[in-house]
Amino acid sequence: MSFDPAHIRNFSIIAHIDHGKSTLADRILELTGTVSKRDMKEQLLDSMDLERERGITIKLNAVTVTYKAKDGQTYIYNLIDTPGHVDFTYEVSRSLAACEGALLVVDATQGVQAQTLANVYLAIDNDLMVVPVINKVDLPSAQPDFVKDEIESRVGIDCSSACLVSAKTGLGVEDVLERIVTEIPAPSGKAEDPLRALIFDSYYDPYRGVIVLIRVKDGAVKVGDTIHLMQANKDYLVTEVGIRTPDELKVASLQAGEVGYLAAQIKDIRDVRPGETITLAERPALTPLPGYRKINPMVYCGLYPVDSKEYGALKDALAKLSLNDASLLWEPETSQALGFGFRCGFLGLLHMDVVQERLEREYHLNLILTAPSVVYHVKLTSGEMIEIDNPSKLPDPSHIAAIEEPFVKADIMSPKEYVGPIMELCQQKRGVYQDLVYFDDTRVILTYDLPLSEIIFDFFDKLKSFTKGYASLDYELKDYRASELCKLDILLNGQQIDALSSIVHRPSAYKRGLAIVSRLKKIIPRQQFEVPVQAAIGGKVIARADIKSMRKDVLAKCYGGDISRKKKLLEKQKEGKKRMKAIGSVEVPQEAFMAVLSIDEEE
Amino acid sequence: MTSPKRNSPSIEALYVHIPFCKGICPYCDFPKVYYDPNWADAYLARLEEEAATRCVGPFSTLYVGGGTPSALSPKQLERLLSFLAPFLKEGGEFSMEANPESLDEEKIALLARYGVNRVSLGVQSCQEKGIKTLGRNHDREMVQKAIDSLRRHGIANINLDLMYGFPDQSEDDLLRDIADFLSFGVPHLSCYSLILEQGTVYATRGVQPLDEDTQQRYFDIVLETLEKAGYARYEISNFAKPGFQCLHNRAYWKDLRYIGLGLGAASYEGNVRRNNTKSLSRYLDGRFLGEEETLDEAGELEDYFLTNLRLVEGFTLKEFEDRFGFSFLERYGDKAHRLEKRGLLSTGNGRVVCTKLGLDLLDMVLLELF
Repeated sequence: MSFDPAHIRNFSIIAHIDHGKSTLADRILELTGTVSKRDMKEQLLDSMDLERERGITIKLNAVTVTYKAKDGQTYIYNLIDTPGHVDFTYEVSRSLAACEGALLVVDATQGVQAQTLANVYLAIDNDLMVVPVINKVDLPSAQPDFVKDEIESRVGIDCSSACLVSAKTGLGVEDVLERIVTEIPAPSGKAEDPLRALIFDSYYDPYRGVIVLIRVKDGAVKVGDTIHLMQANKDYLVTEVGIRTPDELKVASLQAGEVGYLAAQIKDIRDVRPGETITLAERPALTPLPGYRKINPMVYCGLYPVDSKEYGALKDALAKLSLNDASLLWEPETSQALGFGFRCGFLGLLHMDVVQERLEREYHLNLILTAPSVVYHVKLTSGEMIEIDNPSKLPDPSHIAAIEEPFVKADIMSPKEYVGPIMELCQQKRGVYQDLVYFDDTRVILTYDLPLSEIIFDFFDKLKSFTKGYASLDYELKDYRASELCKLDILLNGQQIDALSSIVHRPSAYKRGLAIVSRLKKIIPRQQFEVPVQAAIGGKVIARADIKSMRKDVLAKCYGGDISRKKKLLEKQKEGKKRMKAIGSVEVPQEAFMAVLSIDEEE
Repeated sequence: MTSPKRNSPSIEALYVHIPFCKGICPYCDFPKVYYDPNWADAYLARLEEEAATRCVGPFSTLYVGGGTPSALSPKQLERLLSFLAPFLKEGGEFSMEANPESLDEEKIALLARYGVNRVSLGVQSCQEKGIKTLGRNHDREMVQKAIDSLRRHGIANINLDLMYGFPDQSEDDLLRDIADFLSFGVPHLSCYSLILEQGTVYATRGVQPLDEDTQQRYFDIVLETLEKAGYARYEISNFAKPGFQCLHNRAYWKDLRYIGLGLGAASYEGNVRRNNTKSLSRYLDGRFLGEEETLDEAGELEDYFLTNLRLVEGFTLKEFEDRFGFSFLERYGDKAHRLEKRGLLSTGNGRVVCTKLGLDLLDMVLLELF
């Protein structure tokens, strides 16, 4: 396909969760006739069930549509979707780098959120033209003028001609389509230069290998070319190029300015990470496109089958998931308590949640997750430094010189009346104050350096409850800092359970230990015998709670010969038992292993 | 391999449900409605119709339960009893449930005349607090009067229901109740803890039962006191002087077969479990059936354990093999052994029985066997 680059527009949509990004994308597809209304599934671009259910985009997607503008010309629009969560900041930045412009969608009833702001700044960093779109103007509580002022003062872009739309009803969406032509620049880049194409997403296809989604910046690529991956330093023969409309449509070549897909019998998705530059082996570009980073998982947890017979199935499922997910790391691990399983690394908690749900839903696995942990840098007395992503692997304290933990820079945006409680929360969570700026008359952005471990513990839930749900959070890894940390062990029936160990801040270890044992006492059902639950540091017990023995477990009354309900109760109990892990003689429910995370220290 | 044939016991027990009550007890989850003479007449006619289509008889045991069968008028009661009496085998057990306050001399005479030879009185408590909390309408005198009158008419095989563990019951309350119940000198006592079932008045009011530990402590008091007084525990909640176990209820607990007539009544014929409709209007409309379930071998085995292990005598290995065509120990030996090691089960002397602890924790035992 060769299309005059002057008639191409590449853009993304930036929006906070629930502000209507997917709905607007759907309307655009509908109005350009790409998808007939009859074929529309709600929010087509989010193709995974899970995404549709949660209303968030996890994997990026791109779609090519044609639009006949009022100037009589036909334009090619490449809409590149971006994930909307803090776990995926880097992926967002790569898909923005594939565009010349972005629609900034802001909910007219809610205003700009911290997450949105972070992504707008990413767009501006990537020199994108940002077109403001104020959505949900049909709602009674809409305040479009207020939101315009806010965008102007905070983001610094002119909102005098911002599009006022209702993506839901379609109101104003045609205007948005026109503005894409007039405001977003056509791609530059020369078709005759050496090929430089940016990979912004990829997915695995069992027949064609990994399919990569690319934006051609310079040059052209066609079937039969040998491409060279500049970061992975690998060569592949191109077997197919095409565009997605959203169905795949094969084309002869992709030229500078165009967006499409490419297949080259690539086996391993880790070779084609977002941000990678593709060039031609025969006529390579001198320098790769800027901005490539290899991103590492921030959060690790153990994944175990409840039924040890499912180990093989879990392994196969992880292998299949990671065909499509380069950021999912996993390697075999053994726990004394849980048997054979895997240590898995994730970009963040949402990523972890999504993987867990997909394993359970798509692969029907019954899983135990251990509480997530960050990666600690442990300096040994020998001078060596080791990385620890599993608390139970922490060496004996006598061999440890110091432990460093990851800190993040966290931006919290909130109505100003909650500043006090937020500062108190950050203080509790060992935060180091950095900055407080007024976003507008009513809202502030608080910046703190916080240990990542505190963020994954219960920070977000607390933040939401401290601010009645009004605060939003954005964070990025900043550095590693030495902290006073120690390993907190949990013993059931006198037996140490490795899967329940956690690394905690020593001054709050006692409180944490007490909270964990009382939480476990609540979660673990009574057993035939009394079970002591203890928390210990270095062999010294610091807290204890006893799960009393079961005294009575029988229905007193069984008359009239109607035993069907009794049987149903037993069957329910039997199902519940299947979801428990027998550790020694103690039946432990799945959620106990996350208890370390979900406790409330004030309990 | 063909699976060995399962042998279904013959049907020896007939249950008849009378759903009418003069008052609704806040804990009751059996099918019941307020007594209305016209409905009761219509109901009895349907009951006769159902009996004509569903059972032949005669049966070794008849059991009229409720609801409150004694809530029927003398005329209605006579109609019911005269209709049922021919279904009883010579020398069989004919039980009826009754409330002390609705059982007058006239009705007792009717019972005796038509061969009722066992009466179960829904007393629950004789303490003022218990009577009030449980929403009953009798006092100790009424109970004594009913018992005396039954005995005068030759019905000495009497059961009293005792309920413990209701809200606010103290240990002293319980001890006084047990002493009262023992003073009546009847040969059978059913003692069960208050269970808060969904859909009962209590459940709607959000009443909280006593905690598990207290309930169990109360039960242990009941057990100890009654056994000292010469009542032997023969089922989870049932106690009898020698020779006075309830044969009809034993049929349920031995997992035998039975037919149930009337609203919500349960039947078990061959490998089919049936429940009649729980809707009175449907029943009065002649649509008796609620739901039916055909059991496979696994289902029959579960039912067998669920019922037989409620009995203190459990079941014999021979009974089991005659019934299912294979040896219990062959299939369940490992599980039984684990339960024995945990002190919940015993398989000595050719008999599988729960220990005292096993009876308290029967669900745990069953979950292991299922």
